[in-house]
Amino acid sequence: MSGRLRIALTKGRLQDKSVELFEGAGLDCAPVRSPGRRLIHALPNYPLDVVLAKAPDVITYVEHGVCDLGVVGKDTILEKGGAFYEVLDLGFGRCRFALAVKKGSDFYGTYKTRRVASKYPNVTRAFFEGKGMDVDIIKIEGSVELAPILDLADGIVDIVETGATLKENGLEPIEDVAQVSARLIVNTASMKLYKNEITDFLTRIERELEART
Amino acid sequence: MNIHINTPEGTRDRLFSECLERRRVQSALVELFRRRGYTEVITPEVEFYDLFVQSGNPIPQEAMLKIIDRSGRIMVMRPDCTAPIARVAATKLKHLPLPQRLYYDQTVFRDRLAHAGGSREMAQCGVEMIGAVGEKADLEMVALAVDALRCCGLEQFHIELGHAGFYRALAGRMRMPGEEQERLRSAIEGKNFALLNDLLEPYRDGDAYAALRRLPYLFGGPEVLDEAEGLAGPCESLDYLRRLYGELAAAGCGDCVRFDLGLVHQLDYYTGVVFRGYAQGAGAPVLSGGRYDGLMEQFGRKAEATGFAVDVDAVGGCLTVETPKLETVIHYGPGLLARALAEVDGRPAGSCELSPCRTLDSTLSLAREKGAARVLVLEAEEARWLTV
Repeated sequence: MSGRLRIALTKGRLQDKSVELFEGAGLDCAPVRSPGRRLIHALPNYPLDVVLAKAPDVITYVEHGVCDLGVVGKDTILEKGGAFYEVLDLGFGRCRFALAVKKGSDFYGTYKTRRVASKYPNVTRAFFEGKGMDVDIIKIEGSVELAPILDLADGIVDIVETGATLKENGLEPIEDVAQVSARLIVNTASMKLYKNEITDFLTRIERELEART
Repeated sequence: MNIHINTPEGTRDRLFSECLERRRVQSALVELFRRRGYTEVITPEVEFYDLFVQSGNPIPQEAMLKIIDRSGRIMVMRPDCTAPIARVAATKLKHLPLPQRLYYDQTVFRDRLAHAGGSREMAQCGVEMIGAVGEKADLEMVALAVDALRCCGLEQFHIELGHAGFYRALAGRMRMPGEEQERLRSAIEGKNFALLNDLLEPYRDGDAYAALRRLPYLFGGPEVLDEAEGLAGPCESLDYLRRLYGELAAAGCGDCVRFDLGLVHQLDYYTGVVFRGYAQGAGAPVLSGGRYDGLMEQFGRKAEATGFAVDVDAVGGCLTVETPKLETVIHYGPGLLARALAEVDGRPAGSCELSPCRTLDSTLSLAREKGAARVLVLEAEEARWLTV
């Protein structure tokens, strides 16, 4: 390392919010705002290089130590797991995991094994294991709402923001599974090896988060 | 028959420089361990599954590579070296006087998730000191950990110390149900400040609230011990760490020793000082260990124990090892084998080899193909050099 930290940001909405947050903390993020074809963006006024990646890859990069820090949603952390420090709740990207079923149907009122569709099979398994319930979990890659409509599943576990998509498709959330927001994660070895650099970064971000509330 | 020409996922053929890296680290460590009075133990690659469950060593069941033997018993490929060595020390070595200093240089096997980039085979080199307790034993062990990383040729590294007793003392002062305590511990281990704050919120009036809340931040130089004392009041484990640090600093290890009071992993297993080694260039700890005084009793012998293991390939990956380059090929005539061998043996390993060719022309083309710069021709009474 040449005295510079490297951070992986989750592409898309979390990226925009992260950039806003960093700029609020005084970091010039112009290179990230107009990325062009470059994949690594060096910030001009702070020793930080930014990489953009898909959410699960952010965790992979941080776990392997090729990125010291990462911004990733709690949903991905819950699903993928891994060994890293989860140091800050950044407060944006808020939503929740919820169990949703067809409006009016009684999910729990039977001894038959329930079938649940989800993009997040691990989160789903952990949730029902916690209840001591055996369920069949079906992994769906795209629009999970389709599964109960087509009678493939009795319910779904998915990210819910406003609930509008569920409502339009005749589904309703019946139980919260977990709260989700963007988290700042740190590689365990980097935290120890570059304590001063990382603490400085964390302090700036924390100060900005406090100023916002 | 369909022959698999690839190795199973998570295993690999190690070639040339990767072997040199591994061997360099192993030989440096073994040399050090032997000099410090440790003797080698080699345990089986396959052991009974029960051994690793019974030991209370938290290796998840799914991480063990299992085999069912002919009589239906479950065996595992050794996932760790400490439990087998504790088994040996508690049984075959039970009549030897304590303390016993044992070392191992073995492969351990762990099953991993597919495509995560981890290896199922890991070369581990480590030590166990059985039947010694107290400051001097811990001191010796930490100093050995420092020297272990130093002797491998790492430039930037440090050993980080924690103490299982510190968290236990703090958690003991809070009236918290067991399940919640476990969540608290895992939040501290993962430095999950957000979750930690939420968990502690209902315990604001608790005696150890301030210290627990700050615990994930309490890592760094010896100043964190003072900060911890400021928050938690006088504490036996902090005094202990401070005394260790004083001695280590006096022994010239001060720069390589730091602290992380939030080192609270595997608390059912570790009973005292715990430590980890970090090296620049490695994304995970390269050394880990600590004191586990309860382990030996699981195998029927009451004895304290402490030790550590070095992840040999992780350390090797931080080193720059150059593979030797072939420079000279020797072409020798009848009756000159001894002279030719003497020439090879007199040069650095890998820089010189004999030509198996009958004619000088073939030797020259061989040398050209292999990129050697010169051919040494040995004939009856003379030797001459040819440039390729």
